[in-house]
Amino acid sequence: MKSASVRWILISAAIVLNGLPWLQSAHRGPRHSPSFALSAQPPPTDRAPVFSEGLIDPESTSPMSHVASLCELADGRLAAVWYAGSREGARDVAIFFATQDVASSTWSKPRAILTPALVARDLNRRIRKVGNPVIFSNAAGKLFLLYVTINLGGWSCSSLNLTTSSDAGLSWGPSRRLTLSPFFNLSELVRNRPVPMADGGWVVPIYHELAGKFPELLWLRETAAGLSATKTRITGGRSAFQPTLAPLTTNAAVVFLRDCSPRKRVSVARTADAGRSWLLPEALELPNPDSGLASVRLSDGRVLLAFNDSPAGRSNLRLAVSDDDGRTWKRLATLAEEPGAEFSYPFLLQTRDGRVHLVYTWKRKGIKHVAFNAAWLDTRPSTPSR
Amino acid sequence: MSHWMFIELLSIVCPWLVLLRGFQFLAGRFRPQWRGWGRLSLLGLVAGGLLAVPAQGMPIAGWVRGLNANFSIPFTGLIAAAVWEEEFRRKLFSAGDWTAGWAFGAVAGLALYPLALGWGRFDPYEWGWSFSPLFVVSAALSVILLWKQNRFGLLLLLAILAYSLRLLESANYWDYLVDPVYCVVSMVAILWRLRLSSFLSLT
Repeated sequence: MKSASVRWILISAAIVLNGLPWLQSAHRGPRHSPSFALSAQPPPTDRAPVFSEGLIDPESTSPMSHVASLCELADGRLAAVWYAGSREGARDVAIFFATQDVASSTWSKPRAILTPALVARDLNRRIRKVGNPVIFSNAAGKLFLLYVTINLGGWSCSSLNLTTSSDAGLSWGPSRRLTLSPFFNLSELVRNRPVPMADGGWVVPIYHELAGKFPELLWLRETAAGLSATKTRITGGRSAFQPTLAPLTTNAAVVFLRDCSPRKRVSVARTADAGRSWLLPEALELPNPDSGLASVRLSDGRVLLAFNDSPAGRSNLRLAVSDDDGRTWKRLATLAEEPGAEFSYPFLLQTRDGRVHLVYTWKRKGIKHVAFNAAWLDTRPSTPSR
Repeated sequence: MSHWMFIELLSIVCPWLVLLRGFQFLAGRFRPQWRGWGRLSLLGLVAGGLLAVPAQGMPIAGWVRGLNANFSIPFTGLIAAAVWEEEFRRKLFSAGDWTAGWAFGAVAGLALYPLALGWGRFDPYEWGWSFSPLFVVSAALSVILLWKQNRFGLLLLLAILAYSLRLLESANYWDYLVDPVYCVVSMVAILWRLRLSSFLSLT
């Protein structure tokens, strides 16, 4: 450090190295600003009402099953994942995978694809629990599975991980840890359906629940250098989280949020620039008993919401639909209702054939799959939310 | 050695150095005159061996990685300097260099963690993904420190070099600059110095 020339070399290196990210962003051109990829879905082929429901694994020996998600495979089959074990958060909990045959509509025998021991080996670190799997696929049929792991503490100490499959879920690659929080990489969770972007990437609604509880977006993109995973915030605070994202146009979208405040109402936030900035959340008239909800924008433009229609508990699961981008709602159907029982954590998906698929936790004992079409929705008597 | 293996190895360098510094302290209590490369090598092997001991089927290093796999470069550098100074009784860092290191850890951590954990709508962690004011501040601080011949500037230079090479599991520049352990240690060190200086002024 005594030599002036060494000092100048070090100063130059500091300027150049700190300037490299600027050069890289300048090389990439204008600021990367993807828009939502809205699928041009054909109109539903079946005009008669269709409705079916059943447990994915009716012969399950696991006392507890929870938090399911779905995606459509390249051949039209459905793939579902969830976690199951002796009880929520137990060390024997594994993430299970099953597919549904198109012709017979029967589900394959579920198999455990991720256990704490397997993930610990992949990530080369201690893993105590796994949970909250969310599955999605790209246009080439590659499957992505996001899930949380816990090393210490409860769900609020989760970290996010990703694994992929190129053979429709028969085999899965090594898991990769995503670093998304500066505080020991703690408290990044996923639960709801990712949304494809026009540039081939994905935006995944995620959330934080350590000191505060707030919604975030995980931006995933496969690049020549590997997978890029970055994070932005929808809003801060302590009361609204577990966002479910429904794009309305290529740039406009809404997120509906689980509410853990005394208000006990579903809240909604809006973006007009494909998720880069958000208006402050506002409360809807729909109640929320601090429970997860799911939304999907149907191919006819309506927004469908699955939610617990009560400020006090999860003993019912209802569908509501909005014709005005989530501003007003009509209740359409009760999918489950039983005093004292729990029907929770819905996950909605509309497949290429126009069918709507819903999976949810059924009494914490199993995962129920419900399938219906727009014609069935149209036959339901509606009740305004007010 | 693959890039990922190197990243995994680098993630336990800081805990290894902390252990090594702890063993130096213990060794100094029992054999104060014994210093130098021999002791450093032996204690380094003992610290490395301890991290390799399996506990419930996982080396202790895996347990540490489970808690934190992204120890910041300045903190790792400061601990390495402490190990060197203790072993060879030669000052690598002046008092001003150490002050700059602890002040940076405390200020960067206090600027980052409350907001990143949800206090308000703005998340400064977003600044670490790509070019942002964070890089401008980092460059300016590095230049000032290097110009003033403050050796903590070298650690900031190493941090941006490590980020350019993606030597940590994280792809966010903040994680190369600061970590929660560094922030806490920095605050303790600053408070300790304040307490010491007030004690000296009283006596």
